[in-house]
Amino acid sequence: MLTSVFIAAVSLALFWMAAFTLWWQMHAWRTPEVLASTRFSRPDGGEHVSFSLLLPARHEQAVLDHTIQRLLESTHTDFEIIVIVGHDDPETTEVANKAAGRDPRVRVVVDTHEKKNKPKAMNTALPHCRGDVVGVFDAEDQVHPELLAHVDHAFRTTGADVVQGGVQLINFHSSWYSLRNCLEYFFWFRSRLHLHAQKGFIPLGGNTVFVRTDVLREADGWDPNCLAEDCDLGVRLSSVGKKVVVAYDSDMVTKEETPGSLMSLLKQRTRWNQGFLQVYRKKDWKQLPTFGQRLLARYTLMTPFMQAFTGLIIPLNIAIAVFLDVPVSVAFITFLPAVTALVTFVFEVVGLHDFGKQYGLRVRFVHYLKLIVGGPFYQVLLAGAAVRAVWREQRGRNDWELTTHVGAHLTSAEVTRDLREDVPA
Amino acid sequence: MTSTLPAVTTPQVPAQRQAVPETRSIGRTDPSNRLRRRSSRPDLILCGVLLVAILVVQGWNIADYPTLSDDEGTYLAQAWAVQEGRGLAHYTYWYDHPPLGWIQIALLTWIPAALSPESMTVGTMRAAMLVVSAVSAVLVYVLGRRLSLPRWAAGLGMVLFGLSPLSVVLQREIFLDNLAVMWTLLAFALAASPSRHLWHHFGAGIAAATAVLTKETMLFVLPAVLVTMWRHSHRDTRKFALTGAVTACVLIGLAYPLFALLKGELFSGSGHVSLWDGIKYQMTRPGSGFILDQGSGSHGVLHSWLYYDRVLILGGLAGGLLLLVTWRWSVTARALAGPSFAVVILALVAMRPSGYLPAMYVIQALPFLALVLAGGTASVAHAVLRRRRSEAETRYVTGGRYALAAVLAIAAGAYVVPRWYDGDRTAVTADANAPYQAASKWLSTEVADPEDTRVLVDDALWLDLVHAGYEPGRGAIWFYKADLDPAVTKTMPRGWKDLDYVVASPTVRRDAVELPNVKAAMEHSTPVAVFGSGEDRVEIRQIQTASGGVR
Repeated sequence: MLTSVFIAAVSLALFWMAAFTLWWQMHAWRTPEVLASTRFSRPDGGEHVSFSLLLPARHEQAVLDHTIQRLLESTHTDFEIIVIVGHDDPETTEVANKAAGRDPRVRVVVDTHEKKNKPKAMNTALPHCRGDVVGVFDAEDQVHPELLAHVDHAFRTTGADVVQGGVQLINFHSSWYSLRNCLEYFFWFRSRLHLHAQKGFIPLGGNTVFVRTDVLREADGWDPNCLAEDCDLGVRLSSVGKKVVVAYDSDMVTKEETPGSLMSLLKQRTRWNQGFLQVYRKKDWKQLPTFGQRLLARYTLMTPFMQAFTGLIIPLNIAIAVFLDVPVSVAFITFLPAVTALVTFVFEVVGLHDFGKQYGLRVRFVHYLKLIVGGPFYQVLLAGAAVRAVWREQRGRNDWELTTHVGAHLTSAEVTRDLREDVPA
Repeated sequence: MTSTLPAVTTPQVPAQRQAVPETRSIGRTDPSNRLRRRSSRPDLILCGVLLVAILVVQGWNIADYPTLSDDEGTYLAQAWAVQEGRGLAHYTYWYDHPPLGWIQIALLTWIPAALSPESMTVGTMRAAMLVVSAVSAVLVYVLGRRLSLPRWAAGLGMVLFGLSPLSVVLQREIFLDNLAVMWTLLAFALAASPSRHLWHHFGAGIAAATAVLTKETMLFVLPAVLVTMWRHSHRDTRKFALTGAVTACVLIGLAYPLFALLKGELFSGSGHVSLWDGIKYQMTRPGSGFILDQGSGSHGVLHSWLYYDRVLILGGLAGGLLLLVTWRWSVTARALAGPSFAVVILALVAMRPSGYLPAMYVIQALPFLALVLAGGTASVAHAVLRRRRSEAETRYVTGGRYALAAVLAIAAGAYVVPRWYDGDRTAVTADANAPYQAASKWLSTEVADPEDTRVLVDDALWLDLVHAGYEPGRGAIWFYKADLDPAVTKTMPRGWKDLDYVVASPTVRRDAVELPNVKAAMEHSTPVAVFGSGEDRVEIRQIQTASGGVR
């Protein structure tokens, strides 16, 4: 009897968790109107916002110049690019200085912190920003030339304090995990973030994010001790009621690549999870005005850990139901979480199809197969990252394990070598 | 720039550039406004008035007409077993139908049964079917409106569905089909949701699966639900909506085999019932012949439907045909694609030359026949009043159009109203169940110790006997279980000699021919009380042992 009640309770809890996650994941496709509203509106030609684009680069001389050139091709007329390099990184500094020499819109700021990380670098550059809006990009980003004009328009027409553009991993064909990784980004930026913007609680992304300079200075920039400074900034800003607008256009997203190896994906995910944990423990989200928002915050920041938990518990639960002698009704309930998992699976398959359509990429049957077969393994990876994050946080290790980039989203002629390395602990 | 959302059929790439939300809640307010506009006051008033009329006609005299049917007794008794915690049936559940139907009946009748256990009899509990009828009738109206019928046509559809004498007779009865129709209509209404919400479509899949698990024959109608959903979804979100709906439907549907699997009764084996055997039984039921073949069983069934109402069946089929023919020109025809499709499928299935056609089969077609007939009428009205009408048309021509419309309406009314009046008057005045009620009264008052008395009775009276104190299953016995259920046969080693009474209702007399134990009991008994006369009489026969005395 007690076993039955326990199993039923666990199953129902898992069911509701999975159901809510699914509900939020599918936010953008709820109605055609919602889907249409997730896009940028067409710029009207007027330009009233000036941009300071931060480009932190560390051992990224191979991709940096390309990124700067592409940014300079923007149709917007009023922006500056601030490349942030480390004092101990002469190769990247050289590339940056060359670019600055060619175009007056490019400036270089040197970060002299002994221990380096991205928030520190960006805080170093913040006092030098002259634009009305600070934008953040990564050194390997491919930015669409019309993005700034669209963001400008979005700022003016919505009165937003923050505009988050879409970021999309694109190299789904590289490996089984990159497929799932790409799809995660797709669902997150295409759909879930919009829900967060609507609900007034949003963990921002790491790049293609634009914040009004005064708002950013008022908030004292980024938290240099947080491993997920982007998420933290979003949480702090939305917690004090700043307006965040999210827009996703498949031809306007910033294209990125998945981490080059399973290990670096694990490290990246560990860092994010640990970052989420830190943001949770900072408790800024407690200032959110409504109970629902606080609940959403709590849930979102804890998601990685619940994900790990559910991945392990669902099979266990069903095994118990099948092999132990429980009433049929209880056995039925234990299948509920599996049902939501299955529905999620199906929507992922459809999502992959839509992803292919949106980006004009050919998704083959084998990719769908990989998606399905890889699902459980990816779940294990996520669980591993979650456990690792808790362990590291417990041990007080909060240094950066950076992600390696190989430029898989660029053609091979553009990038040949991988020079960026993880910062040693 | 496409600033507004294109219609469903626009071939252009739609809504590529809708504005960034002005407020955070744009996605929430927009569709709900639309919904509010649609359920406007005139709709509520019209629908409300029609609903009251339908409920009065269907509810008045519900217990006394039509004749109690064996199947009603079966389902209600099984619902009673669910309420009493005796499992899915008071005999072994053998996967004849998915159990969801009578689980719903159990829920519907839960409160009245708890308040007054004696009310759990077929006649009384027919009242619960009024709830189902009411929901279905409203859903027909809503669906009609969602399929862009004008208000009057949606109302007409609701009237056809709820007031046709055929509907009145069938919807009063405790049939699983009525519940399944309700769920199917819900699936259609959700599939045609004006907000085109992903979760509405998902819900449509769940409702469709529920309908199938209520009565498995609803499987035939599912393609029509899918067609409706396809037509009403937006191309940008369609793939998510449709796969969501199909997934939901399949997953919920799989609950039934899963249930059998968990009980270890998925495949046949010795010593237990199985889902496999249940399906095999249903698939191999002896056919009732070709429906248009004079003298076949199916033809008889068709006749019994036409006896109650020709308008809905023949008119509905004609309306379906009209909509198919005018597909190219008529907006209404395309809007009603789903219901027309359902009518076509159901008609084709009924035409199978060798299939089994039960009398309730038509129930699942009623709402679609009604909608298609209403749609056909709207199409004709539009053709008469509006087609090729220009600004310059003279007053006489316009007047002629209206005169023609009036003549057609009056002619239709003159044909339909007297027939329906007769049919519905019978429904609200006839008393077809007096023999049953008298038999029930006799058995509860004239038998000395019901606890120790064993009676063969048909399903319709079974619950009456249980309430009168007979022991369910062993004392009050579903007559055919005496021959067909080994568990029951075992309790009567001496055959008919172990019985006390047989309640020979028309059903028992009809089936006794094929059931040796029942037949023997009939032969070795004499009537002690007879209620009614002729074919419909109910006899209470007492078993006479060979020595001439009673047991």
